[in-house]
Amino acid sequence: MRTTGMKRALAGAAIAALAMNASAAHAATATATAKAKILAPLTIANSTDLDFATIVSGATASTVTVSTAGGVSCGSGLTCIGTTSAAGFNLGGTTGQAVTISVPSTVSLSSGANNMTAALTSSATSMTLAASGNSFSVGGTLSVGANQAAGNYSGTFNVTANYQ
Amino acid sequence: MLRFIKGFCLFSAAALGAAAPPALAAGDLLVAPTRVILDGSRGTEVVLNNIGSESATYRISLEIKRMTAAGGLDEIDEANATPAERAALDMIAFSPRRVTLPPNQPQVIRVGVRLPEGLAPGEYRAHMLFRAVPDATPAVAADPARPAPTGVSIALTPIYGITIPIIVRVGDLGVTATIGDARVGVTKDGPAFEFDLARSGDRSVYGDIEVTRPGVAEPLLLARGIAVYPEVGERRVSLPVPPELAAQLKGPVHIRYSEDRDIGGGTIAEADRVVK
Repeated sequence: MRTTGMKRALAGAAIAALAMNASAAHAATATATAKAKILAPLTIANSTDLDFATIVSGATASTVTVSTAGGVSCGSGLTCIGTTSAAGFNLGGTTGQAVTISVPSTVSLSSGANNMTAALTSSATSMTLAASGNSFSVGGTLSVGANQAAGNYSGTFNVTANYQ
Repeated sequence: MLRFIKGFCLFSAAALGAAAPPALAAGDLLVAPTRVILDGSRGTEVVLNNIGSESATYRISLEIKRMTAAGGLDEIDEANATPAERAALDMIAFSPRRVTLPPNQPQVIRVGVRLPEGLAPGEYRAHMLFRAVPDATPAVAADPARPAPTGVSIALTPIYGITIPIIVRVGDLGVTATIGDARVGVTKDGPAFEFDLARSGDRSVYGDIEVTRPGVAEPLLLARGIAVYPEVGERRVSLPVPPELAAQLKGPVHIRYSEDRDIGGGTIAEADRVVK
């Protein structure tokens, strides 16, 4: 669908060269057309995971928030240990391209029979792609129940870059 | 000859993938092109490339999305699909639906359309979602620094991907667009250049936006790939801009909405506005 004159010319030259070799014995002229389709790409790459690190739960329900910048705010009654990070993503594509980003508002996590939920926030809901540095991040607020059972809680959430 | 062209095409996509920012995770992906329009029964191809550092399995599926008045795309559950949206899901055929690719290995996804008998003229659309299937192994690694037995440790794995629209046009369809009032607004992402874009007709409209100051050749702002889909008559276009550009945009501007350069770049709509 996308063609550019230069690439077409390059491919044309390559084919013309082949054609000349093949038909060097014949003096007749022949024309050949060559086409190359150049497609506009778009890419998404994940650089960091959303990491709430380790939390020691307290006697009352509380929350732990990891901002889209990756910083943590530990709710009262909780002890937060370790380095947190927001989920980081990089987009690539044609400069100026408009992209919308979808992130679910909540995600549930489970460890065996125990559950928790986290509310998610994205640093951007729409972007106009620049030549580089098209990154966005996803942070979240984790709701920790009173005396939340210890364990390794895991969950997945969907992040999509949508092109119109 | 055909093989050569196909090879060259894949090579181009691979080269473009290599130019992308360094990938750090398994499951990173490239998709090209960004938009597919099928009119008639001829199919097309979409290239998926693994730009991650490890082998990954990707799943390809169709989703229904509806445009909102704010210009976003809401995902719609299949159970709530309209008959036209259901028809779009049924008529778009593609293969493969799942593929495992080593790093930097492109795969062609063939996309075709089967128009049912007696299909009413109009535009039918679904969004093709490409995303990596997460590893079966739990993402949480045993970390001795974390006192897991006494605390709560969290592993949230993002499943991330890209959607592109697959548009099927049946019959002779037309559309016009009108540019409404423009302003510099404040969104939660920061300042944005905003204007209303109205559409009338029986298909979507898609193009690039160029904002210029009268008498100045260099555009103030360029944005590509702005669509208004048929489910909305008007949408807000909100383009995030840095604060210094937001200040510069105030005053008289010329806004031009033009077709994709690949199909000629003709003007769809243009207007002179004073930005407040």
